[in-house]
Amino acid sequence: MDKQRRQFLKQACWTLLGSGLMVSGTISLPRAVAAASGRQHRYAFLVDTHKCIGCGRCVAACRKENRVPPESYRTWVERYVVSQEGTVSVDSPHGGEQGFPALSAQHNIARAFFVPKLCNHCKEPNCVQVCPVGATYVSKDGFVLVDERQCVGCGYCIQACPYGARFMNTVRHTADKCTWCFHRVTKGMLPACVLVCPVGARQFGCIDDPTSPLAAVLRTEKLQVLKPETGNEPMVHYRGLDKEVR
Amino acid sequence: MKHAGHVIRLAVVLIVLGVAFFAVRSVMVPEGFGTHHSYTYGYFRAASEQEQASLAPVYRGSDKCRGCHEAQHANWSQGKHVSVACETCHDSWQAHNNNTKEKVVKDSSIHACMLCHATLTGRPETFPQIDTIERHVAAKGKEYQPGTTCIACHQPHNPI
Repeated sequence: MDKQRRQFLKQACWTLLGSGLMVSGTISLPRAVAAASGRQHRYAFLVDTHKCIGCGRCVAACRKENRVPPESYRTWVERYVVSQEGTVSVDSPHGGEQGFPALSAQHNIARAFFVPKLCNHCKEPNCVQVCPVGATYVSKDGFVLVDERQCVGCGYCIQACPYGARFMNTVRHTADKCTWCFHRVTKGMLPACVLVCPVGARQFGCIDDPTSPLAAVLRTEKLQVLKPETGNEPMVHYRGLDKEVR
Repeated sequence: MKHAGHVIRLAVVLIVLGVAFFAVRSVMVPEGFGTHHSYTYGYFRAASEQEQASLAPVYRGSDKCRGCHEAQHANWSQGKHVSVACETCHDSWQAHNNNTKEKVVKDSSIHACMLCHATLTGRPETFPQIDTIERHVAAKGKEYQPGTTCIACHQPHNPI
């Protein structure tokens, strides 16, 4: 009787150990396969603040292209007005979607300009580092994306983004943000905001090839990025960014 | 050997817990979830990339419009408004080519033009802007008729 019990336990141990190894084996396999594929392309975005006219067509097109809920914005346009005294005021009514109102003369304006904003698709994104469930990530082509099926809506990434580019999607209750129109770019199309911009204030392209127009601009021109001190290494570059822009 | 039973029982419990952990994990963790190109930034569900890439584009670009609207496309491509895509003013390709076959948006109101061409603080000085249509018409030495819109003088596809 005693011997049978010992044999049973022995066999049970081996069975459990074996099945445990099999289960852990199936978990680790896809990682190894996927890791071999590595990164494929690199993309960059260029915003020309000298060209933007503040018509807001980019914001309207983005909403339709990406079904962005009302009063949330994946991209928006800010107007900076600097007075003769040096005071700075920023407005962005409805993200600039319906254009901007005329300003009264009492502003005593020294200079004014529009600054379109969107997700910077950083190389070292804070938002991805803080996600506790692996729902936001950098794709193989460098796009910072949100997996809405994994997202639990904790909002850490929204707080972590130094650019305020993320918001809580009120329909899905998950984090949401600009994808640089990942679904369009993978089909060889431009992001919707770039397509509809009437003045070419937004440019987008692959920068793998150093002779591509955008790669040449990034290499030869004096460009700026927003908040470089955060160390996120943003990939949206600005031409003519004023020192007052935050 | 008197106390071997205790050790074995403990070992069995630990093994059962360990196996249960891996079994639950294999059910709970979605397929393809794990580290891809980078541990810090590439920790995600592999199928998510494909799911997002498969979304249908709404805006299709001006070349797509040429198929049916060749004359308008040819006229537009020779004018100053060539930098303005069809869908910037006419709404998306999909809104026009869905099951209901909505008509192309043709907003000939002054507001549609003024969205870009109204004089506005912050616009580049070189960009053509007008104050009001009344003053613009007067400045051109013509008499303004109430109700006149921009397209009375300017062809929107190929403006002068």
